[in-house]
Amino acid sequence: MKKNQRTDGMGACTPPEHTLHRRLFLQGLVGAGAASLLSWNGLFSMPAFAAQAKKQQKHCILLWLCGAPSQFETWDPKPDSIYSGPFRSIPTKIPGVRFGELMPNCASIADKLSIVRSMKTKQGEHFQAINLLQRGAEPRAPFVRPTLGSVLAQQLGHLDSPIPNFVLLDPCPEGNEFKEFKAGNWAGWLGAQYGPVRAGGEYKLTDVNRLADTTTQDFEQREALRRFLTRKFENDHASAAAASENAIFERVKGLMRCADLFDLNKVVPKDRERYGPGTFGLHTLLARNLVENGAPFVMVANGMPWDCHVFQHEIYQMLVPEVDRIIFNLITDLEARGLLDSTLVVMMGEFGRTPWLNASRGRDHYPDAWSLAMAGAGIKKGVVVGATDSDGVDVTEKPFNEKNLFATIFTALGIDPYAQYEEADIATFYRVEEHAAPIREILV
Amino acid sequence: MSAPQTQPKTDAAEAGVKLVAAKALKLPTAVLALDAHPDGKTLFAACFDGGVYQVTTETGALRLLGKHESYASGVRYLPKSGQLVSAGYDGALRWFSPTDGKPIRTVKAHQFWSWKMRISPDEQLIGTVTGQYLAGGYKYEPAAEREPSVKVYEAATGNQRWAFSHVPPVLSVAFSPDSRYLAAANMMGEVRVWDLQTGKQAATWTTPDFTCWGIIKSHHYVGGIFDMEFSPDGNDLFVCGMGPMVDPMAGNGKQTWQRFAWKESPPRKVSQIQESDAGHGLMEAVRFHPDHKVFVMTGRLAQGKWNTALFDFASGRLLHATDTKMRTTDSVWLNQGKQLALSGATSQERKKDGRCPDFGHIKLFDLQQASGVASTVSVCE
Repeated sequence: MKKNQRTDGMGACTPPEHTLHRRLFLQGLVGAGAASLLSWNGLFSMPAFAAQAKKQQKHCILLWLCGAPSQFETWDPKPDSIYSGPFRSIPTKIPGVRFGELMPNCASIADKLSIVRSMKTKQGEHFQAINLLQRGAEPRAPFVRPTLGSVLAQQLGHLDSPIPNFVLLDPCPEGNEFKEFKAGNWAGWLGAQYGPVRAGGEYKLTDVNRLADTTTQDFEQREALRRFLTRKFENDHASAAAASENAIFERVKGLMRCADLFDLNKVVPKDRERYGPGTFGLHTLLARNLVENGAPFVMVANGMPWDCHVFQHEIYQMLVPEVDRIIFNLITDLEARGLLDSTLVVMMGEFGRTPWLNASRGRDHYPDAWSLAMAGAGIKKGVVVGATDSDGVDVTEKPFNEKNLFATIFTALGIDPYAQYEEADIATFYRVEEHAAPIREILV
Repeated sequence: MSAPQTQPKTDAAEAGVKLVAAKALKLPTAVLALDAHPDGKTLFAACFDGGVYQVTTETGALRLLGKHESYASGVRYLPKSGQLVSAGYDGALRWFSPTDGKPIRTVKAHQFWSWKMRISPDEQLIGTVTGQYLAGGYKYEPAAEREPSVKVYEAATGNQRWAFSHVPPVLSVAFSPDSRYLAAANMMGEVRVWDLQTGKQAATWTTPDFTCWGIIKSHHYVGGIFDMEFSPDGNDLFVCGMGPMVDPMAGNGKQTWQRFAWKESPPRKVSQIQESDAGHGLMEAVRFHPDHKVFVMTGRLAQGKWNTALFDFASGRLLHATDTKMRTTDSVWLNQGKQLALSGATSQERKKDGRCPDFGHIKLFDLQQASGVASTVSVCE
């Protein structure tokens, strides 16, 4: 990446961890690769650096509420509107701010959250909106912009980390338009090495355990022989396929070392009780554990459950209390572990829901005025920014779009939002296009 | 359990009954439940805005009798006492005097919603059911109840008579014609029947045909038995709802009713809607005609041609069907069965001139019997 010449300095970051990166580079601890990539092997060989790097490592957990949750039953209730559903509102820890009544736990930690009540985007169909909110800009064919997770994997990750730099925990293999999106190209022009490792539920990490009748010594000897032979083949034949295979083996070796972090049977029973019993909570618990062990970016999804055109009230009475409890546990756990200041938690879907209920008592797609929540690294505590009118039809204060959101996320994590991509054979692209400003009101 | 093999022709089928639209009333808010004064000229509506309204069928005039703190979900008129009872998503039961509009008493029945409320035919008891769907397992099986899901109150005093356990959410409830038994059914298709003289459970069974676990989009349960009614002789229980869906958010399960001989051990499925009769959409109300030969099932049309249909009690055969152009939530027969009143809602719309257009509806239909009609089955599109 190089600096966008148009930048006004906003977001031009020189945080300590970047200084550390450069120093490590100068010391030759890191091999060739992206400028911001660290080597865990080299890093952990120097305990002082390891401790410092671990402390300063930034992480991001995206709770992806796919299908698009209603702002009215969560962050922006309108109890006096004719469009309000059957759920009422409750006060929060922030004076004068109310959440939906199904979110008592989040209400109790509202002073640790930042709420954006004025998201205004332009895509009202799932696939296009997922694409927009995962990539931060409209598509520009034939180029494929990397998703947020891939950018953060590149910027915050470590290529030879045993823990994948981009973990997607999504136990539901389906998801209509989300399924379609999941089958697509996540990493775009950054390259497949920054794509997600998918796990969870039906995507259990299998075949990553050393066979019981194979000793560690035997395994290492076999692996050394395999590595020697494939490297030789790769060099003799200049084979990209062999190189790719070697990369996969390295990734699998990493997964073998951290497989327990993906195993729901290995989580602490008390934690399981607090986050469970549903799959979304349990996978959020895995996300917490992964971040605690160094994962830079973990996205947790669960199919597309929030798309309640029908049965909205019947399903939200279950979904919202679950996500309320999960957010509460995640935020308070990260704080208790000293990780909240270095971990950005983003809770959002691809758009909001209509104020008006359809004949099935559901809410339909609505990108015109919706809400999301953030907490942790680089984010102020107890802030509500933006507003909608009394029925939630329009944004009345401070509209923000996907570009503002991505600028906020990058800035909060100490990443230059306006750097230009330098990958070969692509047009001119920036991490955040149009020099969109971050949501300054919620940035520390 | 097995479906019946025979479908005898009956008087009702021969008569060629049909519903003819007679009147349409608009309300400013959706109607979730409906009942009628015996004079057939006054209706009572439980609405989205929490209001319990008296509706004059002749003029459509509304009179607000009282309000719940959330949706009003149930309303029943008690002819003997001249009182009105309503239930709401605030978990409360409220008694009113419709003549002077004065509240009589309020009882907090549930911590969560009253999904459905019914009065025993002898007007002595009120049954109300509740329960929040909360994740209770890895696959989002419903969690165990946190309060009794089924409660029975004395209509005259408001005192609680019984509190029964069930698996929440419990969506529907019905009294037997002799007022001795109470049935209640939940989202998972589990039906429980209690003897109200002893408080003991008299029967329980589960039908898998009203519930689904989301395969596409989302992994959780949805559906359930949304209404039920005992047969006029009390021996059978009719339940209604919607068949399983692949996409739990589509709302396009099969329009379904099933009939169970609940006194048999184990209870036996006697019959169900014929495959060729059913369209798609949630069926929310089932009600017997006063002559006991016909019952009406009504709800929402997702795909197909009808959302309200008359069925022959004896054979289960569809006699007549129509599309009321709204999501129908409740039904009540008027004037000794000569008329059918249906309540419901259409979509809310953006405000125009500062006001949300009316989206609540009550529609009146005349029941016509045309003996000698060649085809006894008709679908009005």
